[in-house]
Amino acid sequence: MPELVIEDLSVGGPGRTVLSGVSLTVRPGEFVALVGGSGSGKTMTARSVLQLLPPALSVQHGTVRLGTLEITTASETELNSVRGGRLGMLFQQPKKMFNPNRTIRKHLLEPLKLHGGLRGRVAEAKVLELLAEVGFENPDWGARAYPHQLSGGMAQRAMTAMALAGQPEILLADEPTSALDKVLEQQILELLDRERTQRGLGILYITHNLASVAAFADRVLVMQDGKIVESGTTESVLRNPRTGYTRELLEASNLAPSGTLDTAAGQSDVLTLANVCKQFGTGRRRGRPALDDVSLTLKRGEILGVLGQSGSGKSTLARAIVGLETISSGTMARKLSPGAGEAPTAVQMVFQEPHDSFDPRMTLRASLEAPLRRWLDPSERSRRLREAMEDVELDPALLDRRPADCSGGQLQRVTIARALLMEPEVLICDEATSALDALTQRTILDLLQRLNRKRGLSLMVITHDMDVVRHMCQRVAVLFQGRLVELTDTHRFFADPRHPHSQDLVSAAIPCRGLHLKRMRAASA
Amino acid sequence: MLTFLAKRTATLVAAVLLSSYAVFLIPYVTPGDPVRKIIRSRVAGDVVDDSTVKALGESLGLQDPLPVQYLRWLGDFFTGDMGLSHVSRTPVADQVIPALGITLSLVIVALGTAVVVSLPLGITAALRQGGRTDKLITTITQSFIAMPEYWLAPLLVLVFALKLSLLPSAGWSTPASMVLPAATLALRPISFFTSAVRAGVIDALEADHIPAARARGLSRTQTILHHVVPNGLVPLSTLFAVWFAGLLGGSVIVEVIFAIPGMGRLLYDAVINSDIPLAQGGVVVVVGLAVAITTLADFLHRILSPKVGGTLA
Repeated sequence: MPELVIEDLSVGGPGRTVLSGVSLTVRPGEFVALVGGSGSGKTMTARSVLQLLPPALSVQHGTVRLGTLEITTASETELNSVRGGRLGMLFQQPKKMFNPNRTIRKHLLEPLKLHGGLRGRVAEAKVLELLAEVGFENPDWGARAYPHQLSGGMAQRAMTAMALAGQPEILLADEPTSALDKVLEQQILELLDRERTQRGLGILYITHNLASVAAFADRVLVMQDGKIVESGTTESVLRNPRTGYTRELLEASNLAPSGTLDTAAGQSDVLTLANVCKQFGTGRRRGRPALDDVSLTLKRGEILGVLGQSGSGKSTLARAIVGLETISSGTMARKLSPGAGEAPTAVQMVFQEPHDSFDPRMTLRASLEAPLRRWLDPSERSRRLREAMEDVELDPALLDRRPADCSGGQLQRVTIARALLMEPEVLICDEATSALDALTQRTILDLLQRLNRKRGLSLMVITHDMDVVRHMCQRVAVLFQGRLVELTDTHRFFADPRHPHSQDLVSAAIPCRGLHLKRMRAASA
Repeated sequence: MLTFLAKRTATLVAAVLLSSYAVFLIPYVTPGDPVRKIIRSRVAGDVVDDSTVKALGESLGLQDPLPVQYLRWLGDFFTGDMGLSHVSRTPVADQVIPALGITLSLVIVALGTAVVVSLPLGITAALRQGGRTDKLITTITQSFIAMPEYWLAPLLVLVFALKLSLLPSAGWSTPASMVLPAATLALRPISFFTSAVRAGVIDALEADHIPAARARGLSRTQTILHHVVPNGLVPLSTLFAVWFAGLLGGSVIVEVIFAIPGMGRLLYDAVINSDIPLAQGGVVVVVGLAVAITTLADFLHRILSPKVGGTLA
């Protein structure tokens, strides 16, 4: 099998450079990781290998070779046979990468016909075979399903099947698991690794998650501002990072317990939920309850982590607490400090997708001011806004921008600022950092912790990320299929998870410190 | 999907019942004696003296409560007995059905032309978004919105019938006489369809799954044919149905100008002559058909985009 060689590649457009002098090699049977923060040029590297750059960008210098084929100068026809054939690609957010109006079967038939010349019954049989290979328990159902009927993990498996349909020599995997939880991530990466060992597939794994790199990659390349700043074996790079940037990435991925976990937090409850149920749909469309008899309390000044896979009812719980969703039965009580009374604004929420949390046409100032208009005059309003921006360590000048002109990290801070304006006692963060890269995630988590300590703000942190829980939460609640299956102290949870689902979660969470290196695993096996 | 089907059919029936009840009430809410009006739509001969009116009214059951009369009227209606026209003294059904046929063929030709014209225009404009071709197509088709039928129709007659003597100026005798009215009717749908196709295709082009399709090895042309255009055309199905339903009764200006004996013309005449049974027959048929078409379009939309339709698999 041939190797993929990128030599001195520079990519740019009018007035900007995206990649400068990138060189890397992926050999057959090799698992190479390309890591870096968002905007570092990782995705563009993969895109230039396929020659599918956005219209404004082009290769300005350097070459990409697959075996003897010069990709940078290949004809469009040659490229079409290489794309999806010898070069497979996996994308982030797999569900969005399927045509919503076509079944999975139809998607799979395309590469089978284009690259294998398979049609008719042979092709249909191959579709089922591929789906079974990537772990569909019921390939028949998977083939007939439409993309929206698949879960994120299933969609990434189907995407993998599609890439494997062309019998690739090299697989470009662009953040294939960043939108998935730890359990699914592990499963997908194991699937890829199996293809590597069995067929000698070369893998270029693009990610910002160093924990998974430690577990799977042979070599690591670190990318910053379009340049490769560090490279070497996984062990050498992760154990002895030479550049500050790599250390920063490592630090950000490595959310160790932060020492605030002493339960000195107040003993009084600020929020009490008793036997809360939520049922969507009526009659025959009535499904499993989204929340099934959930009882829990949030103590004043504590950080409570709520863990669960997608569909476990985490978001419904959050929405119910802030009142965006009515509950079917049960009670919810708020015990606020005397001054706050029964103020409806005392519980605030931070949403997952910062860009979706603002009206794109309004400036941030207009968005933030809106709820204050009723009782504050203009000068008081701008003073409050300035303070809130300072609380989240942002330049107040940012307020005059529109959401599209801000980064995800900046916007998520603004969302927190917006919540703080209401002087809340409880802040619910629903996957507040899942859409952000590791470096930005770290700064937001630090900010939340500071607000917790400084203001005595009670936090409910909803996440699927075990590291976040370990890093900052005093207690953990685990939701599974709408039921609360575990509620305990964080250290006890990690040491001795009780419920089988909790045990799955804990065993899939690979701590980065301690470096569960692939080589070491191989040695101990 | 099945519950959706049942629900939609129920709304369809409810809409037809509600509108037909309103239509049924016309003789009662318009000035004049409702009994005489109804008798005139039921009895061929002339009636003058009050005793005959009373006797006939009783034999027709006009003393019964309104809902009972309504059900009887509706039953007659759906068995093809729509009463007698006040003006021509002939059965309404004999006038409504041919008129409907004429309007249906006119609307189908007009909208068919609009689709055939706007598909290539919209797709081309979308693929060259922001370019000169796009601007040209968009500007020209958008200007069609500002051309009302009562202005365009005489203009076309002036040029193609009077000056060039290429096509008949009015009537409904030969296929050639369909050209000018159909062209007049097609113009505004062309402009709406083109912009819908253009917007739909642009959305489809920008979808995340397009680079993924290219990465599977599909050429740009294959991607556009299999993934962009089919997805971009879904919104057109709904728009088409809305126009279809609207033009069934809304082609009145064109039919009057070109002297076409279609539904629009029929309703226009019925109103001008206070021909209540004719108006009743025409309105119920048009409303029923319009509701049926939009319902069909809803089903079609659900089949074309399974995400909206829920589980079909």
